[in-house]
Amino acid sequence: MNDEKKFPPGLTDLPVGAVGSYSRCRCGSIVRVASGLCASCLLRRGLDSSENETEDFDAFLATVDVPDRDWQLGLYRILEEIGRGGMGVIYRARHIPSQRVVALKRVLNYHSDSQETLCRFQREARAAASLDHPNILPIYDVGVTEDQLPFFTMKFAVGGSLLSAMQTFRDSPRRAVKLMAGVAMAIDHAHGQGILHRDLKPGNILLDARGEPLVSDFGLAKWLEASGDLTRTLTVFGTPGYIAPEQADQTMARLTPAADIYSIGAILFELLSGRPPFLGEHALAVMRQAAENEAPKLRSIVPKLSRDLETICARCLQREPELRYSSAGALAEDLERWLDGRPITARPLSVPARIYRWARRRRALASALAICLVCAGVLVTRQLQNWNLQKEVRKGELSKNSVAVLPFLDLDTATVQSLFTAKLAKHFETALGSLGNVRVVTAENTIRPKAAMRDLQTRSALFGTLRKVDGNTRLSIQLLTADGDLLFQRVVDLASPEQLTNDLAPTLFSVISANDWSNSIAANRDPGLRNEQTRELLSAGRELTFRCRVADFDRAVNCFEKALHLEPRSALAHAYLASAAAAHTHYLSNPNLLTYAQREAEEALRLAPNSGDVLRVLAGIDYQRGLFRRALEDGLRAIETGAPDGKSAAMLGMVYHELGRPDQALRWLEIAKAFDPRPGEYEYHIGDCWSALGDYDKAEIAYRRANDLHPERGQGVVGMSLLYLLRADFGQARALCREAERLNPDSPENAQLAAQIEFFARNFPAAKKIYSVLDRQDAHGGGSFYGSVSYKSALGRIDLDAKSSAAVQLLKQSLAREQLQLSSAPDNPGFLYQIAAIESSLGENENAVAYLQQAIAAGWADYRSLSLDPRFDNIASDQRVQALIGRVKLKMEEFHKEVRDH
Amino acid sequence: MKTEPASGDTVHPVRFKTTRWTVVLSCAKASGAPEIAREALTELCRAYWRPVYALICSHGHSPVDAQDLTQDFFVMLLKGNLLSLADPSRGRFRRLLRRTVENFLSDKHQLSLSQKRGGTLEFVPWDEWMAEAPSQLSIYGQELQNSTPERIFDVRWAATIAEAALRRLGEECERRGRLRVFTALSKFLSTERVEISYTSLSTSLGVSEATVKRALHRLRVRYRKILREEVARTVTSPADIDDELRYLCAALASEQ
Repeated sequence: MNDEKKFPPGLTDLPVGAVGSYSRCRCGSIVRVASGLCASCLLRRGLDSSENETEDFDAFLATVDVPDRDWQLGLYRILEEIGRGGMGVIYRARHIPSQRVVALKRVLNYHSDSQETLCRFQREARAAASLDHPNILPIYDVGVTEDQLPFFTMKFAVGGSLLSAMQTFRDSPRRAVKLMAGVAMAIDHAHGQGILHRDLKPGNILLDARGEPLVSDFGLAKWLEASGDLTRTLTVFGTPGYIAPEQADQTMARLTPAADIYSIGAILFELLSGRPPFLGEHALAVMRQAAENEAPKLRSIVPKLSRDLETICARCLQREPELRYSSAGALAEDLERWLDGRPITARPLSVPARIYRWARRRRALASALAICLVCAGVLVTRQLQNWNLQKEVRKGELSKNSVAVLPFLDLDTATVQSLFTAKLAKHFETALGSLGNVRVVTAENTIRPKAAMRDLQTRSALFGTLRKVDGNTRLSIQLLTADGDLLFQRVVDLASPEQLTNDLAPTLFSVISANDWSNSIAANRDPGLRNEQTRELLSAGRELTFRCRVADFDRAVNCFEKALHLEPRSALAHAYLASAAAAHTHYLSNPNLLTYAQREAEEALRLAPNSGDVLRVLAGIDYQRGLFRRALEDGLRAIETGAPDGKSAAMLGMVYHELGRPDQALRWLEIAKAFDPRPGEYEYHIGDCWSALGDYDKAEIAYRRANDLHPERGQGVVGMSLLYLLRADFGQARALCREAERLNPDSPENAQLAAQIEFFARNFPAAKKIYSVLDRQDAHGGGSFYGSVSYKSALGRIDLDAKSSAAVQLLKQSLAREQLQLSSAPDNPGFLYQIAAIESSLGENENAVAYLQQAIAAGWADYRSLSLDPRFDNIASDQRVQALIGRVKLKMEEFHKEVRDH
Repeated sequence: MKTEPASGDTVHPVRFKTTRWTVVLSCAKASGAPEIAREALTELCRAYWRPVYALICSHGHSPVDAQDLTQDFFVMLLKGNLLSLADPSRGRFRRLLRRTVENFLSDKHQLSLSQKRGGTLEFVPWDEWMAEAPSQLSIYGQELQNSTPERIFDVRWAATIAEAALRRLGEECERRGRLRVFTALSKFLSTERVEISYTSLSTSLGVSEATVKRALHRLRVRYRKILREEVARTVTSPADIDDELRYLCAALASEQ
């Protein structure tokens, strides 16, 4: 039985969920009142005749020296605390002049003491106070306390918040719809006044005595949220589960009314179904879900609900803001229509809407499509007919024997080959058609298999890649299910697409037309995923790995080792273990750990030679070892064999960046984003590319986004600091470096960055201090950070100025170490550059120039570090070096132009 | 920014003048319902709307309908044409009020809900009354799940009296600028002395333990006085107070 049925209605003021639960009193009574006082014991006090009042009570009170002075805020007397959370505390308070009881919300832990911020708060609160609507909680007063903490007062909502009343709506859709119609009207009114709510959630919808909604905290979310849990460190203001996906992805300024409409939809969805549209273990997971997936259908959770309500919710929860209701008023009207039993205006997403949605995602192709639509009306009509036809057919039959052919990816250029795909699809259609009844649809509008299957209503999707290898075309194809499971995968070198289709058609046909894929999926599934315990260990380990903190890498390694203990044949566990260990060495160099990672990755490969996941990890380890060419090959193979995956594409982006091709890197990162739309996942690397291309504005935008979405990683701020460092603005660089330190205090990158700023600023004593500490922690470290400054080489260079013989010793040690590294990765631009720097420090100028030439030929592109790095002082004025810098600069400018034009 | 509404809307904490229901009744009997009876009745409505509302709910009306019916009930009561039907010589205000509500409800069934309420004056300003005196009643377990409307009415009545006395005590302290003392000590009004940490109370209030002990004692004594005053308003003779208190304690006791 539900909790709300616990006692009959009418006994309490608040929704039952909001009433505290107490035990039965020892006296046997079952009723308690304020502060849990037993009502019966209180009444029995009246029977106690032993104590009679003899003195004047008022006179007595005056003698108790506990005055209420502190309990007064301006003209308000605090009566009791009724809520606390985040940065705010709410009191029931009395406005002394009028004696009116109000709710007073006080902003605690207020971060800024600047007058400007305070004014902004007051301005925004006053704007909210100007709203006058029966379903908006009136704000009476905005003020500041004596200690300059802002507060505001509003109507005291006696019914508590919707948060505690939620369950009471479960079985009464009409009440839920009526409530949300009121909320929608309130929001519409506010939108009309130019005010967005931005954090609509059940806790912000209060109820009056009659259960009518009163929406509170318009536009004030950011003043009331605290830092602490994940939702808040995101600096995305709003509450996961109720905020629109674009809210996680955009700055507040660019939000539109559609974001509030989404929130109304999410709350209605929860009222009707008892759960929010997206569930997840933590805030980030929920936001990820909302960004990646369509909201579930309402009736898939509560089948008995009306189809119209499902449509209304779906319309609100569209991921594209433009596809939601045009206004909160329109939504309110549809809700009213439903209440009146009239037909609603919202329809399930139409074909044009789907095309629009696609066009939004692929802006570059959108204009081309528009032309096609005009020129080929016939085609569109056919598509529409086809669409209608599809709707006619029962869903099961419709999706059976169907495959969406996704655009193939040209791995050489990192571009999508639509023409080739169309040709290929045609061949498949013919080949498969001759074998039986298979519907083959070309998915031009997305490269995400899930999206294609959903939009085109197919049961499977075919994705592939092509690239030139030794004069042949190497094609890969992967057949995927709607859940992303790989059903079939093949890599072949061949002369023509016909050959591929003819060879593979029978196999593909038998897979596509199989009634039940569960066996083949299970057979392909990694053993580590079959067992619940290992699955959880793997998932926990992955989460830890993505936190980018040294201690968490170790904890991740621990999880994977445990998983392997339970399931030694899990290639994934081996691969993930390798990945976490290698990531650790990125922050703290540790040759033994890297060897361990390599061994584990090889074991993973032995267990699963064609696993995309394993190959991706292998590429990561190659990258970590400085073997960029190998990393490139392994990364490409990962894409050829695995399901389309953002991480593999991003890995290729990183490798291209190291190889001096930020333009190509950007393309891969764009593909990564298309595969993996989690907001902010790749922004940091994108920032690096724009920085290398010399486009500081774009770089800063990307870093800022990285920081907005993942401030806990601190990477965005590190990137921004570097932008200033590379432009020799050391003051700004230092300030941002301190900010990075605050955000992610565990990251060794902070100290590396701090040291490098001082080193480049030629503030040698400070640089030496930090480098010495770093060197003690990690004797071989520093080379993998931006600018390739190993700690020892920096310390050596600094000590040279003091004419210390130990300096030369240090530099020689450092040189030997780099030579050793180079021997295992002879064309690594970073190693070559590092050697050039040390040779230059040692006064071996000819050697230095020669190595620098090699480094640049191998792809070293960071000419700005080169110009600032004190290690190059001896050759900085050498004309050859100047020419080299000029050449790299020119090359980057050319790439930049190309990327921009593209 | 909003301006404060006219002062007529506001609620003042100073009230409970000591109207006895017998006064109301005798006034109501006289035709024309003079101003004094109206005022006194308003006061009683404000004090006892919760049991009336709970009773109407327990007859199966939804909370919103029950609110409208409670409103209608009090309007009828004010017009004097309901209470006059009852016989004041037979029982206490509590019992009389309950019976009057029951009569009203059975009557209301005939009237049906066709009467449009939009036009009637809102006599019960729910939001203000509830904001002024929020109830924090909670009930252990599911004991009242299948109780009779009569018992639910009595339980709510008993709790209302206990809460009203508590609130009056709080207001007295607030007027003297000692709300903090009340907030800190009121939760121990019914607790045995051994369970109270006078040390921590003394620390948090910044006064000596002796002062805390004395203050709590005085609060208890004062509570008793106010409580008896509250009950006195609902009975015809002071001799009935103890009886009524015992009856209410019994209503609150578990049946299981």
